[in-house]
Amino acid sequence: MNPVIEVKNLSKWYGNVLGLNDVTLQIEPGITGLLGPNGAGKSTFLKLITGQIIPKIGTVSIKGKKVRNNYPLFREIGYCPEQDSFYEELTGKEFLLRLLSLFPYSPPEAEAKAEQALEIVELTKEKDRVIKAYSRGMRQRIKFAQAIAHDPEILVLDEPLSGLDPLGRRKIIRLIKEYQKKGKTIIVSSHILPEIEAMTKTIILIHQGKVFAQGDIHYIRDLIDTHPHIVSVKCDQPRLLAEKFIHEDFVLNVKFSPAEDSLLVETDNRDKFFSLLPSLFIENKIEVQEITSPDDNLQAVFDYLVGK
Amino acid sequence: MTIKEKGYSHWEGELAEKKLPWWPITRFGIRSTFRKKFFKFFFFGALLPAVVFLVGIYISERLEDFRFMIRNQTNFLTVDPGYFKSYFTGDFLLFMMVAILVFCGSGLISDDLKHNSLQLYFSRPLKKGQYFLGKASVIFFFLFLVTLVPGLVFFIMKLIFAGNFKFFASYPWLPLSIIGYSVLVTLFFALYTLFLSSLSKNRRYVSILIFAVYIFSDIIFGIFYGIFRSPYFALISLKVNLQQIGAFIFNQKLPYSIPWIYSFLIIFSISLLAAVYLKNKVKEVTIIK
Amino acid sequence: MISIDKKSAAAFLDSIGKSFSFFFFLGKKVNRTKVFILISFLPVIMAAIIKCIQYFNKNYWLEDLSVFSNIIIFFYLQFLILILALFFGSSISSEEIEGKTLTYLTTRPIPKSALILGKYSAYALLIILMVNIGVILSFAVLNIDHLLDFPRYKILLRDMGVLTLGLICYTSFFAFIGTFLKKSILFGLIFSFGWENIIQYFPGSTQRFTIVHYLKSLLPQPVRGRFSFLLFRLEPSSTGTAIMMLLLITAVFLGLACLVFSQKEYILED
Repeated sequence: MNPVIEVKNLSKWYGNVLGLNDVTLQIEPGITGLLGPNGAGKSTFLKLITGQIIPKIGTVSIKGKKVRNNYPLFREIGYCPEQDSFYEELTGKEFLLRLLSLFPYSPPEAEAKAEQALEIVELTKEKDRVIKAYSRGMRQRIKFAQAIAHDPEILVLDEPLSGLDPLGRRKIIRLIKEYQKKGKTIIVSSHILPEIEAMTKTIILIHQGKVFAQGDIHYIRDLIDTHPHIVSVKCDQPRLLAEKFIHEDFVLNVKFSPAEDSLLVETDNRDKFFSLLPSLFIENKIEVQEITSPDDNLQAVFDYLVGK
Repeated sequence: MTIKEKGYSHWEGELAEKKLPWWPITRFGIRSTFRKKFFKFFFFGALLPAVVFLVGIYISERLEDFRFMIRNQTNFLTVDPGYFKSYFTGDFLLFMMVAILVFCGSGLISDDLKHNSLQLYFSRPLKKGQYFLGKASVIFFFLFLVTLVPGLVFFIMKLIFAGNFKFFASYPWLPLSIIGYSVLVTLFFALYTLFLSSLSKNRRYVSILIFAVYIFSDIIFGIFYGIFRSPYFALISLKVNLQQIGAFIFNQKLPYSIPWIYSFLIIFSISLLAAVYLKNKVKEVTIIK
Repeated sequence: MISIDKKSAAAFLDSIGKSFSFFFFLGKKVNRTKVFILISFLPVIMAAIIKCIQYFNKNYWLEDLSVFSNIIIFFYLQFLILILALFFGSSISSEEIEGKTLTYLTTRPIPKSALILGKYSAYALLIILMVNIGVILSFAVLNIDHLLDFPRYKILLRDMGVLTLGLICYTSFFAFIGTFLKKSILFGLIFSFGWENIIQYFPGSTQRFTIVHYLKSLLPQPVRGRFSFLLFRLEPSSTGTAIMMLLLITAVFLGLACLVFSQKEYILED
C-alpha cells in the first residue's frame, strides 16, 4: 500500500526544548495510533504533519505533496486540535457552518454538511446554544465535528477522547472505526494505551521526541510481557501464597507490603503467572481482595524501552 | 431519587492560615510584570521625573554653584509644597502611571477569568478580600515606587541637603500629604484597573480600556472646556480630578475654580462603584452546609 | 496563461470573500463590538450636549459646522479612529493566536493571505460603519436646524472620506503590527498617542512620517482664531500626495501583514 503521509528526518525544537528528534516514518490508510506520555512530542508531530509549525530539519509530505502553505491540500485533511479553544460567541451550528464556508461549498451544501456533522456527534439538539455554554464533552464533540464535517480523506486527531465520558468515548471510537472502513487515513494520539488498543492495532510509540517503536500493537504488548512485571495481590493469606509462588521459575522476586496484607510478585512471564493464580486461590482457599499491576502502564513500558 | 448523603464532610477544625495568604499572588504579579519585554524601559521612563525633581532639590540647595546655569530663573527651583504638587500631579507622571497599569494590571483578573482559575484560588484558604488585596498589591507596588517612594525621598533629601530641619518645621504636614495623596491615587488606580480587568477575559481589550477611558475623559473635558469655558467640565476628566485633589492635599491653589470636594466625590464614587462591581463579579467557592 | 492567471485571481478573490463573510459575521456577534459601537457613538452624545447648552444659553453660540468640523471630526481623527483601528487591526491575527483558534483557519483550503485580507476587510468595514454612522448622527444633531441646507453635506462627505481613509490606513498598519509583535497593543498605544501625537507637530519633512499628517492635509485649514491650534504647525502635503501616500501606506502594510502571516510560525502557547 502507498503511504499517505511520509516524514523524513523530522526534527523540531523550541529554543532549548526538543520537540521531535529525527523521525522518519510512513503512514498508510487505516487507523494509526500515536502513543506516548504527556510531553512526548505527539502534538508536535501532528502539528508538523498538518503544517501548523515548521520543522527545523526534515520534510513532511502528504500524498507526495508538501504540506505547509499548500492550502488546497486541506480539502482532504481534517484536524482536531488538542487545545480547548473556540469562537466562544458562536453557536455550535454557526461554528461548523462558518468554518465550512471557507471550503468551496455552496451555502445549502455547507448547511447540509454542518447538520450532518452535528447529527454524527449527537449535538443536533444543542446546535443553537453558544459554545461557551457547552460542557467539556460537548466542546470536545463539536471540535471533532469540525474535523469531519467536510468528509476528509485524512483525519488527524489530537487527543480526541480527552474530557469525554465513557459513553462519549465509545461513540467517538465507533465513529473513528467507521471512517477506517471507508478507506480513510486516521491518526489518533493518546497517552492511554487501552484507548488506542480499542481503535487500532497499528501504533507509533513516541517518547522524548523519538519514535521508539512502530507497528503492530502486539509487538508492544510482547515488550510489556517480556520485561519483569510486578503484580500486587491483596488477600487474607499472603504468606501462604508467597510460599506457593516462590518455587516457580517465572517468579523472580516476592515481597510483602509494609502492612503485610499484600504480596508483591515480580515475574517475567505474565501469562504463566496469571494462568496459575486462580488455581492457587482455589486450591488453598485464599480469599482475594484485590489484584493490581502497579507498573502495568505506558510509562513502565517506556521506562523498559529506554532501559531505566 | 434523592441524594441522602453528601460525598464529603465538612472539616470543623481550626484553619491555620498563613499570615499573608495574598502575598504569593502579589509576588507572582510583580515577577511576571518584570518579565515582560519593554516593561523595565517603561518603568525607568516613569522614574525620570523623579530623577529630574531630585536634581532640582539638589540645585535648590546649591544655587550659588549653579548660578551660571539658571541665571535669574530661580522660581521653579523653590522647593515647597508646590514643588511636590508639581511632581505628583504632573501630566507626564500620571500618563506613565496609566502606562504602568496597562503593563501590570490589564491581566490581573481578566487572565483568571480567561483560564477559569478563580476556583483554584478559592479552593485554597484564601478569602475574596485577600484575593483582591493580592491583586491590588501588584499595582500598589509599582505605583508606590513612582509616587510614595520618590515623594518621601525628596523630603528626606531636602532635609539632608539643607543640613537642618527648617523645611520640616515650615511644613510639618508635608509627609502626611505625600502619604495621603500617594495612597489615594494608588488606591483609585488599583480599583479602576481591577474593575476594567474584570470586565473581559481579553487582556488586549482591557489594555485599550485602561488607556482609552483615562485619555477619553480628558479629551472630552478639553473639548467642552474649550467651547464653554465652564470649570465644572473638569469633573469629567479623571486626570484633572486627581490634580484638583492633589492641589488641595498639598495646600496649593486649585487648577480649576471648583471645590476640590466635588473632584474627591467623583473619584470616591468611581472607586466605590468599582469595588461593588468587583465584589459581585468575582464569586468565591460556595460551601453548602 | 492569462486565463489561468485570471482563474487563480478569481479564486483568490473568492477566498477573500469567504474570509470576509466569516469574520464580518463573527465581528458583529462578539460583545466587544457592541462596546466599541457605544464608544464610537459618544461624540453623538457630546454633540447633543453641546447643542442643548447652546439652545438654552445663547452666550455659547458657535457655528454648527465649525463645531462639527473642528471638534467632532478632530475627536474622531485624533482619538477614536486610532483606538478602533488599533483594537480591530491588531486583533486580525493576535486574537487568533491568543485565543488559539488559528488552527481552525490554517487547516482550511484557503490561502493565509486571503484570510488576512478578508478579515482586514471585514473589520475595516465594521469600524468604518461604526464611525460613519456616528459622524452622520453627530452632524444631524448639530445641524438639526439646517438639514435642508445641502451644501453642508459636502463637508460631511469630505470628513467621512478622510476618516474612512484614516481607518483603512491605520487598520492596515496595526494589522501588520499584530502579525509581527506579541505586545501589539502596547506598541500601538505608544505609536498612536506618542509618535503620532508628537511627530505631527515637528517642522519640515519630519511630520510626513506620521499618518495623521496626510489625514490633516486633506482637511481645510481653519482661519486663525479659536480652533487654529487643531492644525498647529501643519505644513500640509497636497491633496493628491496625501491620498496617494495613505493608499500606499495601506497597501504596503497590508502586503507586509500577508507576508509575515504566511511565513511566520506561530506557536500557540498553553
